[in-house]
Amino acid sequence: MSERSAALLPNEGTDFAAALSAPPVNNLRRIGGEMFAWSDRDPQRSQPLPRGAVLRHLLRQYAGPGRTVLVAGPHSEEVVAALADTGASVSWLLRSLIDAEEAARGNSRITVLAGAAVKLDAAEKFDLVVAADGVDRLNSAEGEQMSAAQLVDRLAEAVQPDGVLLLMHDNRLGVHHTVRLEPGARERLDSDWYNTDDETDTQRPASQEQLTARLAQSGLTVAAAYAAFPEPAAPTVLVGEGLLGEVASPLRPRLGTALSQAFAGAFRGRPVLSDPRRLVNRALRAGAEGTVAPAWLVIARGPGAAPAVEGHELLIGDARGTFAYEVTSAGDQVRTTVLEPLEGPIEREGLRRISEPTAPGADVGYVLEERLEHLAATSDLRRMRVELAQYDAWLRSQAQDGLLTGPVAVAGLADVFVTEDGPALLPTNWEPVESVALETAEIRAVWSFAVQLITSGQPHPWPITSNAVDLTATILGMVGQGIAADSVRAAVELHVRLETAEYGLSLSDQHDRRLQLLAVSPGSASVDVAGFRELTEALWRQRYEASHLLAMMDWTEQIIKSRDLQVSKMDWEVQFYKKTWAGRFLWISRSAYRVIMRDGRKFMRGRRARKAEAQSNAVR
Amino acid sequence: MAAHQQPAMDEGMHHANYHYGHAHLLARYCDLPDPLHPPRLQGYLQHGWNMGDGLAPGTPFVDGSKIFVWSEETRRRSWSQGRRDVIVVGAPFAYLLEMEPEPADAPEPEGTIFYPFHGWEGQQISGDHQKLIDEVKKVETGPVTACLYWNEYRMKSVRKIYENAGFRVICHGYRGFWWRDHNREFLVGQLKELRRHRRVVSNRLCSAVWYGALAGREAAVYGDPMVLDNADPTFGGEPRLRRQWPELYGHQTDNAVTHALARQQLGADELAHPDELRAILGWPASTERVK
Repeated sequence: MSERSAALLPNEGTDFAAALSAPPVNNLRRIGGEMFAWSDRDPQRSQPLPRGAVLRHLLRQYAGPGRTVLVAGPHSEEVVAALADTGASVSWLLRSLIDAEEAARGNSRITVLAGAAVKLDAAEKFDLVVAADGVDRLNSAEGEQMSAAQLVDRLAEAVQPDGVLLLMHDNRLGVHHTVRLEPGARERLDSDWYNTDDETDTQRPASQEQLTARLAQSGLTVAAAYAAFPEPAAPTVLVGEGLLGEVASPLRPRLGTALSQAFAGAFRGRPVLSDPRRLVNRALRAGAEGTVAPAWLVIARGPGAAPAVEGHELLIGDARGTFAYEVTSAGDQVRTTVLEPLEGPIEREGLRRISEPTAPGADVGYVLEERLEHLAATSDLRRMRVELAQYDAWLRSQAQDGLLTGPVAVAGLADVFVTEDGPALLPTNWEPVESVALETAEIRAVWSFAVQLITSGQPHPWPITSNAVDLTATILGMVGQGIAADSVRAAVELHVRLETAEYGLSLSDQHDRRLQLLAVSPGSASVDVAGFRELTEALWRQRYEASHLLAMMDWTEQIIKSRDLQVSKMDWEVQFYKKTWAGRFLWISRSAYRVIMRDGRKFMRGRRARKAEAQSNAVR
Repeated sequence: MAAHQQPAMDEGMHHANYHYGHAHLLARYCDLPDPLHPPRLQGYLQHGWNMGDGLAPGTPFVDGSKIFVWSEETRRRSWSQGRRDVIVVGAPFAYLLEMEPEPADAPEPEGTIFYPFHGWEGQQISGDHQKLIDEVKKVETGPVTACLYWNEYRMKSVRKIYENAGFRVICHGYRGFWWRDHNREFLVGQLKELRRHRRVVSNRLCSAVWYGALAGREAAVYGDPMVLDNADPTFGGEPRLRRQWPELYGHQTDNAVTHALARQQLGADELAHPDELRAILGWPASTERVK
């Protein structure tokens, strides 16, 4: 529990004297209910601010010169700047006076409204209302409070008849809430003077349908709705009509891979109840991703001549940065289109960010990793060998002089899509600047799969006590490739470089990560998302292994005891023979007997041989 | 009084709980056997209306202690400032009103009680008392009682200014310090004075104005708000009062509106049952059912 008194002690927190002495800003309007000694920008006090490339891309479609925009609640600067860049007249509602003053000073092009949503001028309407932060931070601690449903209504009322509302609405049934493992979360944030996860509010829209219905009551029609993943504040994957709930869609495999990557990035290192990727994967199979999506992003139009709202089946973008692309299906073809390019070339750790993601055009096929997991779970070694042989041949066909270049060199098995025409690569993020040894690339892909099998507690047909290197050796052995310790080390090194490029690991983090990855054993918990289920699974495996080790120790102990007894008896015998006259006599007699018997037999064998030779000579 | 200038408060202090006889009054409400000597409250009781986190600025606070605040709005604000275990109990004055409703045959109230904005032991105010008096005399039609804070009341020069203006000058007494010299009947006396008058006015929005509004008196804030030495701007200072509660500012105000606001700010609709309050404050439970 934090009981900070930052605001109460002048030597901590904001420098209020400086704030008060700063020159007044003329693009700030205090509408009432503004909070003092408060900031939503402080991650220790309030939730992260909404951001992301897909969000920015969508917002810009409805803003432009001559259009008025209301940004309701705290958002990241980049979102507001993107709107202002379109030439629209932007008003930004912020409950924190400190944030409002900073925003007004930093953005002379916009008007900042400091206060609570309840104080918004009811007569003022906007061509575009943006609430990518939802409605949870539109009330202030001061004065009248509005319920979530009332706030949705209030936002809808602020939309011109020919205007558009873009609202991100947190899903209480979302996978991010379900897997949350955060003891004391209720007390952690200073912004939670009311529990923002209150699931007992019967008026708050609890599903996408209820949200649509609520907006309809205010005269708005939802023109496009997306399930937003992996978190409401930083959506990187948006699933729209045509793909949402459509299990037969050809984009399904790409969606699975995109979501897996998105959750791996967002939940990396965060303790959770269970790895969200497994839950999402199950939801995808059931076509229920809309039900468990962390949030819904709706774009609703007023009853008038609002601008046309273009729908997208699948939008994917960076959480930080500008890069966003769309994946569409047309007939039996799948197309990837870059919507917002990278701001500039990015190179890290000898890897280059891919600016033009390409995807196989065919729509029928499967993701190799999923297929291998299934085959491992069903112990179908025969088909697994076939799949691996196909993959191995494909990979080798891409190599020149044993070296791989391009995205395939750092692609995992989850990035490989197998079609009728053979394997192809799904869109990935990075490619090496210099070529990578084929062996290293293949070992990395398989080793990474082995790590996942172990740490996520997936069933597989090999000994439960196998570590990641054991499994890698077994799997690669299926295609006739043996591995040496050095080659595993090189593969892990390549993997750490990839993670460093993606997540910006420090040198010390890289070192720790290397050690962690090299030591993946049956007792290792998850190496990316720290799931409690996976942790208990690892604990179970440790106990399982330990119980067998104990049993083996017992057995060995008994055997040693038994042998000790036998050795002791024999030792006594030896000593008896060696020390007493009777013993010596017997020992000499026995030795003599052995010599006689040995030499006697030898003599007899020689004699028989000679006789037989003589007989054979006589016959000739 | 050296001790008053820089309170030598240790970390475990809760002596402010006894200011204005607050603890005593709550003990009376809870029907404790010896309300003049109430047992220790298990937490910090808000002792004056404020627009911060409920605690006086700079109050040494032991992490993990409970905070008993007057209103839900203060609870929210307190949480936003990093406080936890903040419980709304309502203002002791609101409990007093519950215990002592205005008699039906009470004499007709008359005139105005005026609370010039006061400093406290640690902060003095500076401003023009005379100018303020002139404005009060101009606005108020009936007799005026000026109620001074104890330290100003002791300053003969200040008292004289108000006496010369023809005001009746009173003081509700000393709020107490370090478990000593409390006027246990502070609020009782204040309520009595408030009820004598038709209006309660001040040059700054403060507890007394809210008390008057809650007691059904016309409440108004006007005049030079005066400047408090080393005023803490953390929560917006005096300009914020004016912005956030404009309904109380001006020579004339709307009684119904100010009363409703006073009910919110003093938590008058959130008062605890005596048994409930005992449990919240950490006082022994009653073995008999309290009416």
